[in-house]
Amino acid sequence: MAVKREHELVPAHEIMSENEVKKLMQEMGVQTYNLPKILVTDPQAVKLGAKTGQILKIHRKDGENEYPYYRYVVED
Amino acid sequence: MHAEVLDHIKFGILSPEQIKQLSVAKLTVPDTYNEDGYPIDGGLLDQRLGVIDPGLICKTCGGRAQTCPGHFGHIELTRPVVHSEFSKIIYMLLQTTCQQCHRTLLNDDQILTFQDKFKKVVNIEGEDITNAIEKLEERDVMVKKIRNIKKCPHCGSVQQKIKFSSPTYFYIGEKKPKPDELRDMLSKISDHDLELLGIDPRTSRPEWLIISQLLVALVNVRPSITLESGERSEDDLTHKLVDIMRINQRLEQNINAGAPQIIIDDLWELLQYHVTTYFNNETSGIPPARHRSGRALKTLAQRLKGKEGRFRYNLSGKRVNYSARTVISADPYIHIGDVGVPRDIASKLTVPFYVTEWNIETAKKLLEKTTYPMVLNIISRDGKRKRILDTNREEILKIVQVGDILERQLIDGDIALFNRQPSLHRVSIMAHKVKVVPGKTFRLNYCATAPYNADFDGDEMNLHIPQTLEAQAEAKYLMEVKDQVFSPRDGGAIISNSEDGVTGMYLLTKEENRLTKDEATFILGLAGVFELPKVDKDGTYKGRDIFSMLLPKGLDFETKTKSGMTFRIKDGKLVEGNVISATFGRGAKLYVKIGKDYGSQELIDFIFRTSKVSEAYATIKGVTVGVKDYMVNQKIADERIALLENTFKKVDDLIVQYKTRKLQPLIGYTLRQSLEKMIIAELDVARRTAESVLSKYEGEENHALLMSKAGRGSMLNLEQMSMFLGQQATLSSGRIKRGYYSGRVLPHIAPRDIRPQARGFVVSNYTLGLDPIGLFMHAVGSRGAEVFKALLTARSGYLYRRLSNALQDYYVQGDGSVRDASNNMVETIYGGDLIDPIKTQYRLVE
Repeated sequence: MAVKREHELVPAHEIMSENEVKKLMQEMGVQTYNLPKILVTDPQAVKLGAKTGQILKIHRKDGENEYPYYRYVVED
Repeated sequence: MHAEVLDHIKFGILSPEQIKQLSVAKLTVPDTYNEDGYPIDGGLLDQRLGVIDPGLICKTCGGRAQTCPGHFGHIELTRPVVHSEFSKIIYMLLQTTCQQCHRTLLNDDQILTFQDKFKKVVNIEGEDITNAIEKLEERDVMVKKIRNIKKCPHCGSVQQKIKFSSPTYFYIGEKKPKPDELRDMLSKISDHDLELLGIDPRTSRPEWLIISQLLVALVNVRPSITLESGERSEDDLTHKLVDIMRINQRLEQNINAGAPQIIIDDLWELLQYHVTTYFNNETSGIPPARHRSGRALKTLAQRLKGKEGRFRYNLSGKRVNYSARTVISADPYIHIGDVGVPRDIASKLTVPFYVTEWNIETAKKLLEKTTYPMVLNIISRDGKRKRILDTNREEILKIVQVGDILERQLIDGDIALFNRQPSLHRVSIMAHKVKVVPGKTFRLNYCATAPYNADFDGDEMNLHIPQTLEAQAEAKYLMEVKDQVFSPRDGGAIISNSEDGVTGMYLLTKEENRLTKDEATFILGLAGVFELPKVDKDGTYKGRDIFSMLLPKGLDFETKTKSGMTFRIKDGKLVEGNVISATFGRGAKLYVKIGKDYGSQELIDFIFRTSKVSEAYATIKGVTVGVKDYMVNQKIADERIALLENTFKKVDDLIVQYKTRKLQPLIGYTLRQSLEKMIIAELDVARRTAESVLSKYEGEENHALLMSKAGRGSMLNLEQMSMFLGQQATLSSGRIKRGYYSGRVLPHIAPRDIRPQARGFVVSNYTLGLDPIGLFMHAVGSRGAEVFKALLTARSGYLYRRLSNALQDYYVQGDGSVRDASNNMVETIYGGDLIDPIKTQYRLVE
């Protein structure tokens, strides 16, 4: 399923680089599999071309308050 | 301790050979003890099955009552019987296999398909068994498909109809095969075919479902009890086993004596009955076996099943020490953070007193005491608990030393956890300070009932005493009532004044109300205030000044109610506005302000103080309602009639407009829907007008009206009592219109009448009484509301339970992230904003 256009309610997703992931895991004291999951078949993952095992950083926005959210890409 | 992860459990069926292997004794004598009171060899309490009487030695393991775990025995049945709990599976097997060649009735193609499907269910070694249940469901679908096949696809023989009659009888065509014949048929099914049917032949050959060797439970499972009279009373299971053995023996004798077949068959069936009820005495289709007294026996299945069974009662059911439960009753003199504990309970419950080198003298003094706050037990350093009696007190006093723990009775100031079920949220369990009181009930300040959702109509509550210093500290600093005032939902106060507590304070703070010196000192004294406010020229005191005395020093607070009234406190003095439900009752912001600015202790003290003053002043003034309050004067009665006439006329006009098509429809609605909406709106206007009529002519001397302002109830209650009941709506579906085809509710109403009274508008009130139609409409509304309430609470209760169970071990870590017990991250920041509502200033800043 391809994402044809952006929707204002879908926050921006991005693939994190390996170094970023390493640093993040260190900071939060977790393993990648401890994070919430996202399917490779998820429209956002498909759009970004994410691979299983990567981490997606999601820029969630609640009013003026912005905060990051992380998801571990898993197989369908 | 060594632990291993349990990967899977597999259940199978014991074969007769396995039973013989497990068994240590073949039992032959259908009796228990001989005349000397010793277990009979080969009897049901044979000493090889283990011993439970002290002094005897087990003949199998040589152990004594404490050490012998017990051993299985067996009974050899003269004739085999069906295992009733498995008759459904036997039925399935008979249906799906050929009566001649005993192969499965699946044809070759079907065999190939199912072969792969069930292989995994059967061979669990190293294979995926997670979908076993789904696959067994597929088997059931397959069984349905092939059970009516008339001709065996393998040998071509005609299949006769098989009937199953609960619990253990089968009919094949006209014949009724005996258990041994069934066994022969089942044993001829090949291993391969069994696998196709989802059965593992290595652990569960179907012929083992026909019992020829009956495993006898160890004596430890069915101990006999010696009564005071010296008489022995046997366990239900033992009784049942005696029955089985008796019939078994008679059957054997009859067969050996060459008795007629009918007699043998009868005994055989009787044996079947006894074995069936041995497993489950609630088997449908047969009468339960009874004790001599007429009580149904509790056999194997009954021990395990249900609420009082082994699982739910003994394994999942936890019981707790250091706890108490009794009825609660109200006590306005008990502090909100305290709980009144009856003396009887306080002298049973204990708190540990750790003996150290600094308090050993105090400990000794405590030990010497022989009246109420005394020591009940001593736990010495080796962990042995000893009861302190008058006979050993002196001795213990000599040996008490540092490191011992004394268990002393509960006294004032001890910390206790107080709980009311259902424990739906965190404030269902709070820490209270103990206050020992006479009587037999727990006392609770009524201000603290809201978080527990408790009332005093017979509610019972539980009390737990934390037993370590850590637990006490944790309870005190995390769970105390004063720290639980603010709701985790929105930060508003859960504990507050309510009902009479608001009414009294409203009366006190009314501009015209003044108190004599006597009244003022009495009231302030109750609150623990021993100063008087400024006296007026006539020697009286303003109620408002007295209220100000109760406020924290220097409080500045201002709020606006929905009705537009300003409530202002300046420098600890009430300067504007009235104390009403909105400013002083549940959810009032005043409490939040005090709590945030002066701390939770001051807040709880404030609520306690004001509740006492309020209550006392309400008592002085007298707040009550009588029938008089609902007997309205002529003016109101006239206005009521006029209002109703006016409303009906307007509605009639609407209907005329509708019929002449002159009605302007509302956007998005048909003409008919618009009419309905407009009628409902018109009736709503009537309700609101009635409200204003009442408040125009009635004053606060009408206490029902007084309470609707400050305390309990609303104008709607007054309206229903002295104006009219108004529209009785069935929830969400609009005005009542069900009953007849034409849409009328009752035969007394003309078809297609849509005027207010025809659709559930009740013009009468509780004081005047209802006419039959009004009563009916009111009953429809009430029933609807009641049913809705029942459905809603059941639904939402279960939904909430699932939610809170799913969330229960999530916690917020130091970095603000939410994680579970396995360090899985749920949120990076709690709630996305790291806001804890408890700590917010609940709507203080608009």
